[in-house]
Amino acid sequence: MYDWGLIWQHHGILVNGLLVAFKVSLFALVISVVGGLALAMMRMSRPPVSWIAVAYINIFRGVPALVSVIWVYFGVSLLLGVDFSVFEAGVIALSLLYSAFMAEIFRSALSAIPNGHREAGHALGMRPIRVFFSVILPQAVKIALPNIGSMFIGMLKDTSTFTVIGLLEVVRVTQNLVSQTFQPFVLYTAAAAIYVIAAFLIDLVFRLIEGAYASPPRGAVSRLLRSRRQRRIQSLMAELGS
Amino acid sequence: MSATDRTAPIVELRGIRKSFGELEVLRGIDLEIFAGEHVVIFGPSGSGKSTVLRSINLLEPPTSGSLKVAGVEYGPGVPGEKAGRRGKPLELRRTVGMVFQQFNLFPHLTALDNVALPLRSVRGVRRADAQVRSAEALRRVGLLQRAAHYPQQLSGGQQQRVAIARALALDPKVMLFDEPTSALDPELVGEVLKTMREVAETGMTMVVVTHELSFAREIGDLNVFMEDGVVVDSGPRGFFEETTSPRAREFIMAVR
Ligand SMILES: Nc1ncnc2c1ncn2[C@@H]1O[C@H](COP(=O)(O)OP(=O)(O)OP(=O)(O)O)[C@@H](O)[C@H]1O
Ligand SMILES: [Mg+2]
Repeated sequence: MYDWGLIWQHHGILVNGLLVAFKVSLFALVISVVGGLALAMMRMSRPPVSWIAVAYINIFRGVPALVSVIWVYFGVSLLLGVDFSVFEAGVIALSLLYSAFMAEIFRSALSAIPNGHREAGHALGMRPIRVFFSVILPQAVKIALPNIGSMFIGMLKDTSTFTVIGLLEVVRVTQNLVSQTFQPFVLYTAAAAIYVIAAFLIDLVFRLIEGAYASPPRGAVSRLLRSRRQRRIQSLMAELGS
Repeated sequence: MSATDRTAPIVELRGIRKSFGELEVLRGIDLEIFAGEHVVIFGPSGSGKSTVLRSINLLEPPTSGSLKVAGVEYGPGVPGEKAGRRGKPLELRRTVGMVFQQFNLFPHLTALDNVALPLRSVRGVRRADAQVRSAEALRRVGLLQRAAHYPQQLSGGQQQRVAIARALALDPKVMLFDEPTSALDPELVGEVLKTMREVAETGMTMVVVTHELSFAREIGDLNVFMEDGVVVDSGPRGFFEETTSPRAREFIMAVR
């Protein structure tokens, strides 16, 4: 009745679907982190500029991924007279939406940094831009990391709606397999499992990154990465300590 | 007693006023600080002590008045006087170091990197040199062994000493201390005062806001009592015993 062997038989196709979804999400993650940070900074600056950011955030936070990708693929492409590939359309659609979410994440992370740190940087004679990039941002990123991780999982799941424009992500390849094998229960169970496992792995990776960014760093990987620096400090201490 | 060069003040405040909206918190401050001098500023909470310190390095730009540091004008000017050329805040802050009540170490950096970051970005020192100089600065405050520690792994007293090392490493001409021991547990106050005493002995020009009046008696070449945004009375060594201002006497009695 249920042919669970189908999953193994077609695992290559299913995994490929995941890789496509993953690639779209990863591109969109990078773009929306940069875009979100820029929006957050606009949001925190003076009125005419902050209004633009507020408008953007409130509009794009509310648009579903499905609507966004259709709008980009069929609407914006027509308006601009460019043909986006389904892959490009997917990346753009996700980036537009998630920049808005990232902006809110970065805004709360940036405002969580005590003003004293900024003042200390300025009092030391550091340029404002240097204070931002060397003092404020690294701390804000640390605070934002867990939320960025959940956003990434959200993006991966949102790629499932891109089946409407024919992107060969998990749901699309599953549909194709179902139409050949008439085993929807088995195959959609597999699809669901793929998302769950992918989410689990993303969470794991973000936890590792968080550990590496912690002060002091946690975990074997980060200790390994820092061991050279630590040795350098040890030798300095030995040199000057005597 | 320290050797002070009394030819020209290194810091000179004339008619410094500062308003936050409607509220005028500094109502005309005049202060001359000479190289090598140790100045103590004290007075009740809200009297404007921090604001005076913070106007010296332009963390709070004065609303009006003249601020001269090392001969360069940084203030908006005294009304009625012709405004001359003004120095840039960035330049000023490279001459004046500051230590805060809350330490304000950068929590994502080790003690060593807290000192090295400004050395690299302000003085343009290369990474390897910056590390050596930072280690030396930490040794000066007795914390070389804690170089690899992060702020949260250090006691409050140790954090404050790192903060002092961080400011000193940049070779400032003047050091500002805003209640450097007020956030510390009582048993940790001593080590920070000891470090400050050592800094004082090097002949560093220091402006210290503090409620530790016994320490103030010990280092204060010039003692300034503030209330309600004005200097009520000031004087040299012996001020705490000799002041004739009733308010200052009252305050000194109350703190003791
Ligand atoms: N950024 C600001 N905005 C508005 N008011 C301020 C600001 N900073 C200080 N003030 C006000 O200015 C006055 C003087 O403050 P200041 O911090 O200089 O006092 P202080 O003498 O250092 O007091 P404390 O002993 O409590 O540190 C206070 O009434 C304070 O509320
Ligand atoms: Mg104060």
